[in-house]
Amino acid sequence: MQFGIFSVSDVTPDPTTGRTPTEGERIRAMVRIALKAEEVGLDVFATGEHHNPPFVASSPTTMLGYVAARTEKLILSTSTTLITTNDPVKIAEDFAMLQHLAEGRVDLMMGRGNTGPVYPWFGQDIRQGIPLALENYNLLHRLWREDVVDWEGKFRTPLQGFTSTPRPLDGVPPFVWHGSIRSPEIAEQAAYYGDGFFHNNIFWPATHTKKLISLYRRRFEHYGHGKADQAIVGLGGQVFMRKNSQDAVREFRPYFDNAPVYGGGPSLEEFTRETPLTVGSPQEVIDRTLGFRESFGDYQRQLFLMDHAGLPLKTVLEQLDLLGEEVVPVLRREFAAKKPAHVPDAPTHTSLLAERERATTNTEAQ
Amino acid sequence: MTRKLVTVTAGLSNPSSTRLLADRLTAAAEEALADRGEKAEVRVVELRELAHDIMNAMTTRVPTGELPGVLEDVAGADGIIAVTPVFNASYSGLFKSFFDVVESGVLDGKPVLVAATGGSPRHSLVLEHALRPMFSYTRSVVVPTGVYAASEDWGVGEGGGRELSERIARAARQLALLATESAPAAADPYEEPTPFADLMSGLGT
Repeated sequence: MQFGIFSVSDVTPDPTTGRTPTEGERIRAMVRIALKAEEVGLDVFATGEHHNPPFVASSPTTMLGYVAARTEKLILSTSTTLITTNDPVKIAEDFAMLQHLAEGRVDLMMGRGNTGPVYPWFGQDIRQGIPLALENYNLLHRLWREDVVDWEGKFRTPLQGFTSTPRPLDGVPPFVWHGSIRSPEIAEQAAYYGDGFFHNNIFWPATHTKKLISLYRRRFEHYGHGKADQAIVGLGGQVFMRKNSQDAVREFRPYFDNAPVYGGGPSLEEFTRETPLTVGSPQEVIDRTLGFRESFGDYQRQLFLMDHAGLPLKTVLEQLDLLGEEVVPVLRREFAAKKPAHVPDAPTHTSLLAERERATTNTEAQ
Repeated sequence: MTRKLVTVTAGLSNPSSTRLLADRLTAAAEEALADRGEKAEVRVVELRELAHDIMNAMTTRVPTGELPGVLEDVAGADGIIAVTPVFNASYSGLFKSFFDVVESGVLDGKPVLVAATGGSPRHSLVLEHALRPMFSYTRSVVVPTGVYAASEDWGVGEGGGRELSERIARAARQLALLATESAPAAADPYEEPTPFADLMSGLGT
């Protein structure tokens, strides 16, 4: 089981001080947070991609490349890479380059983006979101697996005899997750390819999230990639912790009440009851997270949202200490003890390479 | 067979004339279903009680309180009776907000009886310029007879409320007819997804 954090890269005023970090401060804070993730023993750092204020993460591979140079073990990922508005050719190139620089410590998560105005800035139309995600990913998938591609589709100019360079490291494309919070088409897509499926698990009650994950698992089996319980599932989650539950609630409340995404909506109490948000002690976070397994089955990746809503860097780093010292070690132990042997771990470059070599040896043996 | 009716009423006071009209329409619909040999299972939803939950769903999409259950019942209903007071020459904001948080597609093909109350008969066309277009947009099957009740319709004026009663009965009969004919709900896309090959149809591969 992999544990990590995902950032949306928002520049939000700290409601307790009124101070807004500069873009430069926020970018450096994200890097500091990524490095801290490795220090405290987490497995994954994922950055979002946005092309409008108040977000800074418009260029994920630049940031991840920098983080790659300063880390040893951390897997660098995205949450999400916009498969709708980016040219799939550029995604193929950028992430293959990153994969080489990071020596395989790279995977990525496809997402559509739900901000209507962004699409036309990149020559697209949000009403074509699903077809764009389907066609573009299909092309990306081919670009990483076929050395020379002839291709013609609906949304981009045709390719004749095109080779995307660099070729993926060791000829093994980065593992891909598909993120969606409500689209059965995307669960179907992830299942078809045998890729991972990620639900951000933030705003939705478990009953909804479960429908989408069950669909993905069922179709993963249908397309012959393994049993439903062997499908590769990732979940988000958001937590705020202090040793004492009451301290966590008191400290987090102003951030919750003023955050652009929650403010004016449900109360903190309603939100923690109806969604996976946990504000409390490390033990409460452990219990809630173990509960995800009860709801959705054995899964492979758990990412937490930690640096958002204007929380100061110092606080986020303290949260990461708690996560790394008190929460994740227990979760690793508990999840490992509960996971049946036939349920795989999340694929990594190493495991995919080994798998391919096994397949090649088998073919040669025949 | 038992038909499920959900009555949605957006009156704010207690008692409200909107609720009164909603109750009379509901009773008339039960009677009309009984005349057709059908039973009715009724849920009356006071939107006032859901006001905060509706705003929660609108601002963050997080369904709180009773709202998820109500939305489920709306999705499963054979017919809907939707009653609003007239505010500023249209349906009330609360009424509109509730239907704004109903998932798109849920009302497709669903029979809806539209009704409104107002202080003056001069607003009676609210049914035609506000409610009917909204439910047409959601692809509901709007009952031909809408019911508008102004103050005088409650029995003070000429006719002693008889015309309103007749209109209620006629609208209820039409709703009962549509509710018994209502098509089975569309396939749940989470249960029966469109296969990948169909999704890719017309796209580059």
